[in-house]
Amino acid sequence: MSRLLVVFISLLIGSISVHADSHINIGDRAQELKDEGKSKDIHPDLREIRIMHPEFLQHKRDETLRQGVRTKRNSLKACVNCHSAADTNDEYVPIDQHGQFCSTCHQKVGTSVDCFSCHRTTPKEDL
Amino acid sequence: MSAIRYLQTEGRSFGFYALVAGLGVLILAALGGVYYMEHNGHWVSGMSNRIVWGMPHVFALFLIVAASGALNVASISSVFNKKAYKPLSRLSGLVALALLAGGLTVLVLDLGRPDRLIIAMTSYNFKSIFAWNIILYNGFFVIVAVYLWMMFERRMNKFSHKAGLAAFTWRLILTTGTGSIFGFLVSRQAYDAVIMAPMFVIMSFAFGLAFFVLVLMASYKWTERQLGDAIVDRLSNLLGVFVAAVIYFVAVYHLGNLYLAENTGVENFILFDGGIYTQLFWYGQIILGGLIPMALIYHPATKGNRSMLGLASVLIIIGGIIQLYVIIIGGQAYPMEMFPGKEILEGYGGIAQYTPSLPETVLGVSGIAVAVIAITFAVKLLPFLPESLADTNHKDCK
Amino acid sequence: MSKNLNRRDFIKTTTATTAGVATIASGITLTTFVNANESPVTDEKRWGMLIDTNKLTEADIDEMVNACQEEQGWGGETHSTGDQKPRWIKKLKVQDKTTKKITSLPLMCQHCEKPPCVDVCPTNASMKREDGIVLVDRHLCIGCRYCMMACPYDARSFAHETITDQKEHMPRGKGTVEACTMCVHRVDKGESPACAEAVDSDAVIFGDLYDANSKINQTLKKIQSSQIRADLNLNTGVRYSGI
Repeated sequence: MSRLLVVFISLLIGSISVHADSHINIGDRAQELKDEGKSKDIHPDLREIRIMHPEFLQHKRDETLRQGVRTKRNSLKACVNCHSAADTNDEYVPIDQHGQFCSTCHQKVGTSVDCFSCHRTTPKEDL
Repeated sequence: MSAIRYLQTEGRSFGFYALVAGLGVLILAALGGVYYMEHNGHWVSGMSNRIVWGMPHVFALFLIVAASGALNVASISSVFNKKAYKPLSRLSGLVALALLAGGLTVLVLDLGRPDRLIIAMTSYNFKSIFAWNIILYNGFFVIVAVYLWMMFERRMNKFSHKAGLAAFTWRLILTTGTGSIFGFLVSRQAYDAVIMAPMFVIMSFAFGLAFFVLVLMASYKWTERQLGDAIVDRLSNLLGVFVAAVIYFVAVYHLGNLYLAENTGVENFILFDGGIYTQLFWYGQIILGGLIPMALIYHPATKGNRSMLGLASVLIIIGGIIQLYVIIIGGQAYPMEMFPGKEILEGYGGIAQYTPSLPETVLGVSGIAVAVIAITFAVKLLPFLPESLADTNHKDCK
Repeated sequence: MSKNLNRRDFIKTTTATTAGVATIASGITLTTFVNANESPVTDEKRWGMLIDTNKLTEADIDEMVNACQEEQGWGGETHSTGDQKPRWIKKLKVQDKTTKKITSLPLMCQHCEKPPCVDVCPTNASMKREDGIVLVDRHLCIGCRYCMMACPYDARSFAHETITDQKEHMPRGKGTVEACTMCVHRVDKGESPACAEAVDSDAVIFGDLYDANSKINQTLKKIQSSQIRADLNLNTGVRYSGI
């Protein structure tokens, strides 16, 4: 629990500086949705998702894995699907790599992302 | 009792720096090995899905077992009121803490995800013997630290008896817990035996005392302090008794196992046709680690000879490590009896192969280095060692 | 709604938006729910599998192993050698010592009711879902491998190397323990595990052991079946007949 608190506080502090920046690379699908003006449907409150996403993910992970509750909301798969970007060869770049969506912020605030030591880093092949 | 004067070691000699440098190099090598193993994954080690616990666990469990045993000298003094051991109590507590620290370091660094150690401290499964051990280890640190403080702080001296009793009880539970890590594994024929718990307790007596005797003799020799025969002879006698007790428990354990048809396979494997494991058992564990030390301790020709006692202690430690190797690796190498009355032709079974890699072996050995370096610095920083343990001084104490 | 779907089942699944019911034989229904379940699984179900080794050919078992690798994405490890390679499911050949009869069988996590791996896990990473599926919560796994020491079925593997390009539904990572999940991601969608699907005959039956109308329940009532290491009293979810 204390670890969560540390993560939370550091993200809170980090978000002060991060908040000012807009993401350079928010991912291909996410960019499309943003251009279409639909991003508000997914993340009504940008501040909330920026600060709270670790809690959302953690809550969801326990519910899914331990209780078999499988909803799209707060699903890591859904995050990766929208926020991944393809390179010039039209191949997805792992989302935890330098300059990609997750790592941009996480490097800035100095917190590691442990999700992708196990989770797939690119959208499913047939997406 | 106030006659005992404790004094820090000087810690400025060439020998001190050489010792620290040597141990430091070993520890650095181990850290390099850990990085290599964690960076690449465990495929660079000799461990596999069949031999899931390897060399690091052999050393880690040896050190953890020895740790609780090293506390015995203090317990004899404060719990059983033997005044002769009183001057050694502080060192006893220190050696216990250092050995446990060494063992746990190795155990943690071999985890698949050592970076997640915090989870082991925050998410407990109270049904798990392993989780209980984590509590027992942490508790041991706290209790022994408090015990040491009460011995150091004059105002608190009067409580040291009670603290000693608590520490003694705790260490018995701790080693029972360590033995139960194996004793409760119902699926494996080599382990499923409640006698593992008391056997580990007796093993801890022998291994811990052997380590303590070595530390005591070495530190007094290197700091040119006096160490009387009376105290050394007492420790020597005690050590002999403990080694004999270990052999007794090993005999009972194997005889008991032989009686069960289910376990004859694994017993034959360890005792008669297990190749390296059989050789390690008879030559290493029984002869080198049991019979020869006993002969050195009790035979009139070598009795009372410090060098021979030192040799016996070294052999007990080597024999102890071999014993844990036979228990841990040998017990895993022999396949589980999955289909009683049937033979597995394909897909599982056969003796699992294990060749320890260099990094994992260095990691294991470095656990001892961590313990010794901790003791070396602690005796320099705090007055753990009596200025003199000459016989006259000891008589004064009585 | 089928008349075979009892009232309790109906209430239980009101969250599922559509329900498809396929009748296989009289009195036996296979109920599948197309949409994801939004409420936690309960202990009113217990998923299990019945494997009839007399009906299984060796080729069938190989198919099962392949299907598992394909579905879960293991087996492509390049560095692990020998016993280090993961094996979530494996083909075993056993011979009776007296009659010399040889039987081949697939062996995987047996999804015990009282799993030793769950008992020994210090961090609660080894866990059993309410519906009887035994899993490793990799978020909590520290890689101590005590569960592998405790498992009587040699069912678990340790990820000995860095793993990339995982299946989207099956995270796997270096330094953690993994095993058969009974294809929990498929089961939650109302499908059968990949290995059971891979066999054409009814040599492998997957279903709810508690449901008196399920094929697995009815078959288990009729035929002789056994559990591996039944002496340990773990009450496995995977049952065998023919061994």
